[in-house]
Amino acid sequence: MELTANGKEQVMLLQTQVAEEVLARAVSTGADFGEIFLEDQTGQNIILRSGKIETVSSGRTHGAGIRIFTGTRAIYVYTNDTSREGLLACAEKAAAAVNRGTGCRPEPFRVTHAERPEEIAELPTEVAAGRKAEKLREADRAARAYSDEIAQVQIRYLDRVQDVLICNTEGVFVTDRRVYTRMSVNAVATDGKENQSGSMSPGGLMGFEAFEKRIDPETCGREAARQAVTMLHAPVCPAGVFPVVIDNGFGGVIFHEACGHSLEATSVAYGISEFSGRLGEMIAAPCVTAIDDGTIANEWGSTHVDDEGMPTGKLTLIDHGRLVNYMIDKMGSRRMKMPPTGSGRRQSYAWAPTSRMRNTYIAAGEDDEAAMIAEMKEGLYAKYMGGGSVNPATGEFNFAVNEGYWVKDGKIVHPVRGASLIGRGSDVIMKIDRVGRDCRQAQGMCGSVSGSIPVNVGQPMIRVSSLTVGGR
Amino acid sequence: MKIQEFMDRLLRAAGENGIDPAEIYYTDEDSFSAKAMDTEIDSYEVSASCSLSIRGSVNGKMGYASTEAFDEEALEYLIRAVRESAALNEAEEQDEIFAGDECYPEIAAEEDDLDGVTAEEKLRMALTAEKAAREADPCIKQSEGAEIQTSAHRAVLRNTHGLKLENAQKLYVAYALPIAKDGDATATGFKLEYGRKLRELDPVRLGREAAADAVSQLHAEPVASGEYRTIIRHDAMQSLLSTFAGIFSAENAQQKMSLLAGREGEEIASPLVSITDDPLRKGGLATAAFDGEGSATFTKAVVEKGVLKTLLHNRRTAKKQGVKTTGNARRAGGMHVAPTNFYLEPGEKTLEDMERDMGDGLLITDVSGLHAGANPISGDFSLLAKGFVIRGGRQEEPVERITVAGNFYQLLKSIRAVGCDLEFPGSSIGSPSVDAGVMAISGK
Repeated sequence: MELTANGKEQVMLLQTQVAEEVLARAVSTGADFGEIFLEDQTGQNIILRSGKIETVSSGRTHGAGIRIFTGTRAIYVYTNDTSREGLLACAEKAAAAVNRGTGCRPEPFRVTHAERPEEIAELPTEVAAGRKAEKLREADRAARAYSDEIAQVQIRYLDRVQDVLICNTEGVFVTDRRVYTRMSVNAVATDGKENQSGSMSPGGLMGFEAFEKRIDPETCGREAARQAVTMLHAPVCPAGVFPVVIDNGFGGVIFHEACGHSLEATSVAYGISEFSGRLGEMIAAPCVTAIDDGTIANEWGSTHVDDEGMPTGKLTLIDHGRLVNYMIDKMGSRRMKMPPTGSGRRQSYAWAPTSRMRNTYIAAGEDDEAAMIAEMKEGLYAKYMGGGSVNPATGEFNFAVNEGYWVKDGKIVHPVRGASLIGRGSDVIMKIDRVGRDCRQAQGMCGSVSGSIPVNVGQPMIRVSSLTVGGR
Repeated sequence: MKIQEFMDRLLRAAGENGIDPAEIYYTDEDSFSAKAMDTEIDSYEVSASCSLSIRGSVNGKMGYASTEAFDEEALEYLIRAVRESAALNEAEEQDEIFAGDECYPEIAAEEDDLDGVTAEEKLRMALTAEKAAREADPCIKQSEGAEIQTSAHRAVLRNTHGLKLENAQKLYVAYALPIAKDGDATATGFKLEYGRKLRELDPVRLGREAAADAVSQLHAEPVASGEYRTIIRHDAMQSLLSTFAGIFSAENAQQKMSLLAGREGEEIASPLVSITDDPLRKGGLATAAFDGEGSATFTKAVVEKGVLKTLLHNRRTAKKQGVKTTGNARRAGGMHVAPTNFYLEPGEKTLEDMERDMGDGLLITDVSGLHAGANPISGDFSLLAKGFVIRGGRQEEPVERITVAGNFYQLLKSIRAVGCDLEFPGSSIGSPSVDAGVMAISGK
């Protein structure tokens, strides 16, 4: 049978009869669940350096992963060979890991296409690379025009069109198309002895129309250059424990690291997370409400169905300080005996899915942004954050401040470079004592056990009453 | 279509479509992994995967494309994509497709036992390692698992000049991640081993060492912020060297992304520092007779007694600088530069000697968040760290939730001693422990 997904785009990755046959083979030795994830992805990367288009590389990712469960044991087998024979061989390998007699009886498929709230106006695969390259040149010109101290500008453009088919022995048979477009600008400022860098990386679950709706190459170039030049003239951040005001947008990385990862079934289901078994408790300050939302049209971390075929949703994680939900995938659901939340995600067919974040943010509060800085005696204002990481077992997290300012007696006195922020998640979310009104989101790539996936982080401006600031 | 046939047809189609010369780089990998958690097998993974990339010259400009599908559609896609890519390429220095060196170094085949070890044996080893960690100490109450992975990897390079090179690598990796708890204190432990003879792995020892690592970190506390005499243990130093290895790339230097541009022959580090790039190292994870563009590889001093001897080159960066390639080409989209087995040469002292010499200070055993808290362009780093207080030359209480901050270029200059404990922890980049002089610590 032929599947037609949302109008003109046709996705026909696998026939239902073949899928049935493969699933039946996969569970034939006693598995109680079987799943096929089949993917065909085309993408293009363009790199501009020293003002020239240096590399254009196109790539096609293609393969399938077959997963079976016996109770809480998961078996995953993947291959590039998605022919009937290839998939059957793959199913055979999975089945060989189980020996429990006969398996579950697959339910008949309910064939569906994922509902997609966004319209893709220009599919990147249908846009000439020359038009994409022009956007990189615009950003490059803007960055170089900012200052003579800009020594290098490196710009990456990427797009992906990922067609997937997910089917399982519970009758799920769903197709989906995910279209991503992103640009990253990295500017380097130098005085001959020292280098500093600045970066901007906006993107969306969008086609090439992202350059009309969201990504302004000129602004990106200028902002990255401004950051680099500002940091070149900034003294090193002092070290110690201080109050910290973290701006909106990518500032949300604090919640992502300090708390988000520790609310994923990946660690909660094993009782490892510092938030395991704490549902219903006040784990954060009452001004903190945190949400993981996969439904926002065009957002970088949004999903239509998750990579286990479940429709996406909007999930309140923390409601005014109280822990109300975890992010749960299918296996996590078995271990935790709680329903899944549409949170199963993976980088590609080469990774078994697990619970992951989507667009995760601290919701808008009521505090005045200007007052947060004005009331601070001495501390750090973190305007742009870099990435971070966390050990969910201990809750220890860290993240970098890409552009920071030192505050004294309620006033910004000068920029500071090289700052990082560290702490323990459960302490820090209790110490958030101000939450501003203007919530914004920003794009990042999140790496964890099921690979690197697009997510948004977000928040309004917040204040943490005390935090360890790494500097020298 | 069979891969051999696909490659033949692709090279032929390239020529017919004005892509000349052209080159294919094909890799395939079979892998297996089993993870034990809570004394049961938690997950089990088997894969067979391959990918192919092609680069080729159209009117003197290089284009690049890759695929994991090997059908008629993929052939057409690659040809179209290479032509589109080449048409936009504006780089002044173009990559070269190389006819090959006259001779390549002999790399003795590594003996392995990996084909003979059954899946059941691997599952048992993972279970044994996890159990050994749990039984090693009453504080070990949980774990993030113990895993055994095996893989067989092959790379083939073929081009229209007739060059054909092949490299194969087999490997096992085993690790355990126990969690120690005592009252409110939680600490995670880690131990990793890898090699080619899995039957020589002692999973009980692996589990116990991981457990000891976790227990040693229990009840760790931050120290007061300030400047401390600091030793960076081999594993933490290896993390720093990996993160900043890019400063030795001629590509980065030519692109003004490294401050080592044009500094060959100058003293850039303490005279105790020698750094070697050795693609011929026995058992190394990056050991190979040829690099990503088919140049013969060889061992070279990158830094010798503090003096920068050479940056790492591929054919394009070498040509630009008027030198010979160092055999460090790495394919990733386009052609880049990367170290092979790259390490800080060990000195004479044991870690204990260095601690005794230092007297009072800190031993840093782990740094995290390197992708964010370390800036390879400026050299600045400010990283979450763990370790121990050193008092009277001895390791005392554990330390955590501190940051260690500095600048890698300055760190290279401030090294006061280099240990004898060179290790390559699951990586082609290695380091011994170093006495780093004085570092800025942020704590309580």
